[in-house]
Amino acid sequence: MTESLVPEESRKLVGERLSEPVTATIVAADAHRFAYAAGDLNPLYFDEDAAREAGYTGLVCPPTYLNYATTVDKPMSELRPDGLYRGGGRNIPLRVNRSMFGGEEWDFVATVYMGDTVTAESRLLSLEEKSGGAGAFVLTTRETTFTNQHGTVVARARQVGISR
Amino acid sequence: MEQRTFDSVAVGDEMPPMVKHATTTQLFLYSAATHNPHRIHYDREYAAVEGHPDVLVHGPLQGAWLSQFVTDWAGPRGRMLHLSWQNRARAYPNRDLTFRGKVTGVGEENGRRVVHLDVWEENDEGQVLMPGKATVALP
Repeated sequence: MTESLVPEESRKLVGERLSEPVTATIVAADAHRFAYAAGDLNPLYFDEDAAREAGYTGLVCPPTYLNYATTVDKPMSELRPDGLYRGGGRNIPLRVNRSMFGGEEWDFVATVYMGDTVTAESRLLSLEEKSGGAGAFVLTTRETTFTNQHGTVVARARQVGISR
Repeated sequence: MEQRTFDSVAVGDEMPPMVKHATTTQLFLYSAATHNPHRIHYDREYAAVEGHPDVLVHGPLQGAWLSQFVTDWAGPRGRMLHLSWQNRARAYPNRDLTFRGKVTGVGEENGRRVVHLDVWEENDEGQVLMPGKATVALP
């Protein structure tokens, strides 16, 4: 029998918190870099008057930027040959070499503003080992809850990764 | 930006398409802005090792485009409440990627009038690369 791609120690992580919560401030310059790179020049992100006119109290953070505001960088010694960090960024050991992004599901509960301080907490929702035409692969679903400095949950993201 | 209103929307309405055409420079900028060192997005030689004929457009970049497609359609006073997508097939730079969508339902969520949308991204051969769904509250 071939060895499972999911070590027993990783199976035990299902339902568990994946790391210590990450707290970061939404820096407008960084969020703008993200918006420019995506080519999304929504005035709500760049023009305070436009944002206020639309009922916001300040510049709005691009919705999916939340994931990157709370990304934790690692030393290069932690890189795998494919350029990703070992443990897929959040310490789930898998016997895989390659990972692809499979999709995402967002609930946007409250507005996130530039300058807000957001805490991200990730849990492993599921680890499913599957077999397909190109061999066995693992679907990893993690849910991140984002809470702002007032203790309000502002968003939840469920992210699916495909690893083989 | 134009404002869309709940009363102007009907089930079956099609959203005006949005076309994206990423250069490898844009992929580089997106990798940098999102702290993403994954080689399949900038190293063509390495991408070939994984069986890809070219570098790939990031799944989350396509997600950011989908978010833009929905929020631009909704207008500044609209509020996107839910957005989901599946990255089902590879997307390549230097080719047109077209975002399309239609209104599938109208209703209420927490006292707000909302519109449900089916949204998706196609390549220049009409293949759906990324199906998704969105819910937006409209004034």
